[in-house]
Amino acid sequence: MHIPDGYLSPQTCAAFGAGMVPAWFSAGRRVRKVVKSRSVPLLAMGAAYCFLVMMFNVPIPDGTTAHAVGGVLVAVLLGPWAALVAVSTALAIQALFFGDGGVLAFGANAFNMALVLPFAGYGAYRLLARNTSLTARRRALAAGAGGYVGLNLSALCAAVELGVQPELFHDHHGVPLYAPFHLSQTIPAMLGAHLLVAGVVEAALTTGVVAYLQRANLPVLRLNHPAVPDDDAGLVEPRRLGWRWAWLGLGAMVSLTPLGLLAPGAAFGEDAPANLDLQRYHLDTVPRGLAHYAGFWHNALFSGYGFADDSHPDLAYLVSALVGVLAAGAAVGAAYGACRLARRLRGGSLSRATDKPGAVPT
Amino acid sequence: VTTTTPAWLLEPQIGLCPCGCIGRRRRGNFVAETIEGSARVMGQALFAEDTAAAPGLWQGLDARVAVVSTLGLLVAVSLVHHLGVLVAVYLATVVLAALCRLPLGFFVKRVWLFIPIFTGIVVLPATLNVITPGHDVLSLGAWFGHDLAITREGLTGAALLVTRVATSISLVALLTLTTPWNRLLAALRALLVPRMFVLVLGMAYRYVFHLLDAVTDMYTARRSRAAGPERDTRSGRAFVTAGAGALFGRTHALAEEVHMAMVSRGYTGEARTLTAPRLRATDVLWLATTMAAVALLVGADRAFA
Repeated sequence: MHIPDGYLSPQTCAAFGAGMVPAWFSAGRRVRKVVKSRSVPLLAMGAAYCFLVMMFNVPIPDGTTAHAVGGVLVAVLLGPWAALVAVSTALAIQALFFGDGGVLAFGANAFNMALVLPFAGYGAYRLLARNTSLTARRRALAAGAGGYVGLNLSALCAAVELGVQPELFHDHHGVPLYAPFHLSQTIPAMLGAHLLVAGVVEAALTTGVVAYLQRANLPVLRLNHPAVPDDDAGLVEPRRLGWRWAWLGLGAMVSLTPLGLLAPGAAFGEDAPANLDLQRYHLDTVPRGLAHYAGFWHNALFSGYGFADDSHPDLAYLVSALVGVLAAGAAVGAAYGACRLARRLRGGSLSRATDKPGAVPT
Repeated sequence: VTTTTPAWLLEPQIGLCPCGCIGRRRRGNFVAETIEGSARVMGQALFAEDTAAAPGLWQGLDARVAVVSTLGLLVAVSLVHHLGVLVAVYLATVVLAALCRLPLGFFVKRVWLFIPIFTGIVVLPATLNVITPGHDVLSLGAWFGHDLAITREGLTGAALLVTRVATSISLVALLTLTTPWNRLLAALRALLVPRMFVLVLGMAYRYVFHLLDAVTDMYTARRSRAAGPERDTRSGRAFVTAGAGALFGRTHALAEEVHMAMVSRGYTGEARTLTAPRLRATDVLWLATTMAAVALLVGADRAFA
């Protein structure tokens, strides 16, 4: 994902470089405030660690090996702001001393891998690991999911940066001056590889390292999680949102349903057979099976979310939404009731499985 | 240049894409590959220190001038739109490398082993009319209902990209192979990079090699315990993640120790870096020449249009 010099126009590089300056300054100030004079050695070692994690070959099942970036791992261990500085420094070492990634493209690479990757990944991790103990299995899995999300978002950013080049920068003959592929080609190419392979490797590495530290070196995990209890016993029950908010949210969504009438066009593959654009699909007639089964069920209460005579479409949308919510609520309620009844008949209560990791705090 | 770096460390390796999608798919052992990777990093750093210590044109320059010249030339290279001008700049970098007494074979190979295999294959599809429409040069027949052809615009675009990437990589290689890393870091101060970042960068670079030793030890220990090739990827992954976790533990302990060592030597959180010496007349002359060359390049390129 390291973009070399020559793939991006100097204007793009300048924009990303200028955009990253406030992020770096803000990161420097925040980290210094939290860890005071410790910040320099901690960040330097974090950067060296980042550089080395990128060198670890992870074996994958087809017998080959792949690399991970480790940005989310560093964000989980040291916090996203420290990760911003550490990954940027590792990228600077790679670009300046080892020719990996461009010097002019440093701002764009730092944006993708030092800003988007740790922050998006850390956000996903925090969201998924909410209110679990430091040794919970869910926390390690959340870190892995964060790695997956972060890496793919970062790859998407790189794909967009590369993909806009031919549209924005070409000469008067249409010759692309920098990266030649369009968005419709860069996004599938980058995301395909990252969603299927690189993201999974990143997730595996991040989960594995956090799980290892949970077993073997808990104090290191506490660095960025000072308020999180070590095990489930210390957990404080989170404040639950009241039912009132659920009703309010549902009501708001029901009242907003007529917005659907504003949407132009129709969803692909949902046309009635009569409205099909046959020429577009190189067809002469509607396929027999489609014509036969299209009108299979014609007892719908609100066909097309409207009344039978198509009058008052707004009101029909609201009524459809209300009836839909009540029907779904009744179905969920019935299922819940059936489960409770079954549990009572069995005569026991289901106790929630608790995590019992064999953590040895050192 | 005779270097003190052992020859076996400098054997060139083709820059294959790590995902294995290009060229020979390496069904390698992850342990051996990580050890090789560490050796490569170490070899590259040692080699750069060797060439930077040898006498030559850029080695005698002030590091600030070298950094500013490289950046100026990089910007010029990215602004140039004509293939001829780019090729001329590439040839000029090879001449500069010769004047810096860098081993030319190594300098050229380092760029051209990486470019055709990585950038070349990536841009190959961009020469087709489905991606870069234009005047057809060579028809490839009909595929899936589309007439495929190589276009003149596509070929020009691909050649521009490949030459631009090659020239940019050569320029950065020229800088890193002729400037010792400590002077390069001191020069970053001239580009208004804050002291704290320069300090972090310098310490990180120094401790990369310390931690690299730890990684190599860990993997060598694993390799020497294993008889025959490792087939169980699951246990391999468990080893890698435990290794990365243990390395973080060491990293953190090292940061604590370094911090205490710094405090005991009077560090109060105020970053200090070496101050670079005053510029000499030759430095100023070289800087003026490079800037004139940058202006000339961009001007000549615009005049062509």
